[in-house]
Amino acid sequence: MASVNRRMVLKGAALGALAYTVGGAEVLLSPREAHAQGLALKVLSADERAALEALGETLLPGAKDAGLAHYIDQQLSVDPSEALLIARGVGVIPPYVNFYRAGLAALDQTSAKLHGAKFAALAPEKRSEFVEQFRQKVPEGWSGPPSPFFYFVSRADAVDVFYGTVEGFERLGIPYMPHIVPIRKW
Amino acid sequence: MANEKVDVVIVGGGASGILLAAKLGQAGKKVVILEMGPPLALDDLVSSQIWSRRLKWGGVPVVSEGKNPVAHNFQSGWGLGGAAMHQFANWPRFHPEDFRVKSQYGRGLDWPISYDDMRPYYDRIQKEVGLSGDHVAEVWRPAGDPYPMPPIKWYRQAELLAEGFGKIGMRTAPMPLAINSVPYNGRPACIYDGWCEAGCPTGALVNPQVTYLPIAKKAGVEIRTHAYVTRVLMNAKGERASGVEYYDKNKERQEQRADVVVLAAFSASNPRILLNSATDRHPKGLANSSGLVGHYVAAHITFSAFAMFEENTENHMGTSGAFGMSQDGYVKDSHPGFGSYTWTIGVAMKPNDVLGFANSRPQLFGSALHDFMKRASRGLARIGVQAEELPNAENRVVLSERKDAYGFPLARVIHGLDENSMQLFNHIRAEGDRIVKATRAKETWTNPSPGLAHFLGGTVTGKSAKDSVADGYGRTHDVGNLFITGGGLFPTIAGVHPTFTLHALTLRTADYMAKNWGGIAA
Repeated sequence: MASVNRRMVLKGAALGALAYTVGGAEVLLSPREAHAQGLALKVLSADERAALEALGETLLPGAKDAGLAHYIDQQLSVDPSEALLIARGVGVIPPYVNFYRAGLAALDQTSAKLHGAKFAALAPEKRSEFVEQFRQKVPEGWSGPPSPFFYFVSRADAVDVFYGTVEGFERLGIPYMPHIVPIRKW
Repeated sequence: MANEKVDVVIVGGGASGILLAAKLGQAGKKVVILEMGPPLALDDLVSSQIWSRRLKWGGVPVVSEGKNPVAHNFQSGWGLGGAAMHQFANWPRFHPEDFRVKSQYGRGLDWPISYDDMRPYYDRIQKEVGLSGDHVAEVWRPAGDPYPMPPIKWYRQAELLAEGFGKIGMRTAPMPLAINSVPYNGRPACIYDGWCEAGCPTGALVNPQVTYLPIAKKAGVEIRTHAYVTRVLMNAKGERASGVEYYDKNKERQEQRADVVVLAAFSASNPRILLNSATDRHPKGLANSSGLVGHYVAAHITFSAFAMFEENTENHMGTSGAFGMSQDGYVKDSHPGFGSYTWTIGVAMKPNDVLGFANSRPQLFGSALHDFMKRASRGLARIGVQAEELPNAENRVVLSERKDAYGFPLARVIHGLDENSMQLFNHIRAEGDRIVKATRAKETWTNPSPGLAHFLGGTVTGKSAKDSVADGYGRTHDVGNLFITGGGLFPTIAGVHPTFTLHALTLRTADYMAKNWGGIAA
């Protein structure tokens, strides 16, 4: 245990780095960096990305720029046994893309039915009103995973990318104190 | 493909499988462990709640259903070391009455063994792996050797919460933890950074990688990872187990022959394997003449109450296991809702994941969630409960209509809490509300509905094939050289965390097997 019986704080380590493809080469970026560089998603469609980012921003402002869509998308591209998504721990049956696709489709379809537009096109206050509604009870016509559970997972994803990192801990003023920093490829 | 026959093949490289392998290896047996997940090493235990999910179930899906579905994936493990790699290390003992619930209270089931049978093994395990605690302050504790280490350090959160217990007349004590408060057996003391759930790479927390795995390897135990076991194989007469069938990393079928077969996989997987091993002679599945394989699945009823203090609770410091405990509610028939329970007092918290700050207020979102996170990171404190669910045969593992890649049905778990459990939960919730309101916190709240922790039963132990699957050593009643270890054996689950009892029970099995080898393997 000699190699790990002390804190292994590696200054400058890119906590939360995932593998993305840039110019044909695989590079390690944080979800925030991948978002800022405008990298294309591998799995989710443009509509799904728009819905996911709008939902994330409603659940936790700042989640979009923290790279929520890039985090989810990259994780959906790996083998489920390698996934880091909270969906894995709370019993979602893989492949996890089915869960997100169905949930985001239900979000948009129900939003259109109840509020006249896809979720991303709603005004911020209307988005919050809709979230408050579906987090408590499955709206009529919602056809994806139960909306309270979809809320739970989506909210946890947003918290992961915004607060579950070294910079997230810093925002809260608490020390990260790692034994081993996750610098390897996700 | 057939492999060289061995003395023992153990299915599952978790806490019980590795412990058993280590002991049998030391006894001179040739042992092979087949682990479904990947190999793990201490430097895989990355400090991150996000990364911690790599330690959670990643195998063939387990379908969880019912009124109150068990949290299979959260409770189980993935990779060598199993669920013990992310355990919180709360290690109280069962009480004597936990082994005789039916005979003492006329409810539930009895174990075929008593606390007196188990005590020597609790004492041996705590000495071998190291436990921190205070046996004097723990006034409810049954007879046993003192803990080999003093309790872990308390941070402010625990002190503030203990005040609440004291103000309503409840006693508290340090939680016995399988975490080093001081250096022990060559492993360092805890440094209280709260990353236990992500796996402890320092060796301060008991996990198989730092306890029995090195012993097993030194004793020559062979470990094959990525080995997915589908069936137990029987001899031509169908009377004795001859080995197991499994699929390797390359998805190739393998057979491992052995004199003794041990199922040490998680509580959903052992029934799946037994039920999928049905033959003409065993049409209901192996070891299932009782018809009880898969039945009596049980989980601990959990509950949390929260207090937001104005002063700094230091809640980022400590362990995922609790600082303190109270068992003033342990007497099963002393309150509404039959069953024992243990309060847990204060735990280290992180911002994210299931037990993080954010999920303590799940209804908050938007800017209100940001505001809450800032307050929680300074002043939040938490108490929790592990409460006993009584055995219910309707809570069960069955085979699903869904199949794995090789055509075998998956495990499907059906679970619900009965009226008694809800009465117990409601009593606990009211008590928890009184406790946190008695603290000096400015704001308190409680979880409105029960959660579930651990996943036990499904292959329960008992006196005969009329009422159980295996005997007190985990030896199946029907097949003399087929054993089961782990939490699946528990016919009742007590009001405490199961991992200490799981270890003690496995050590007892190891002793029995080593001493009676001729009669088992013949």
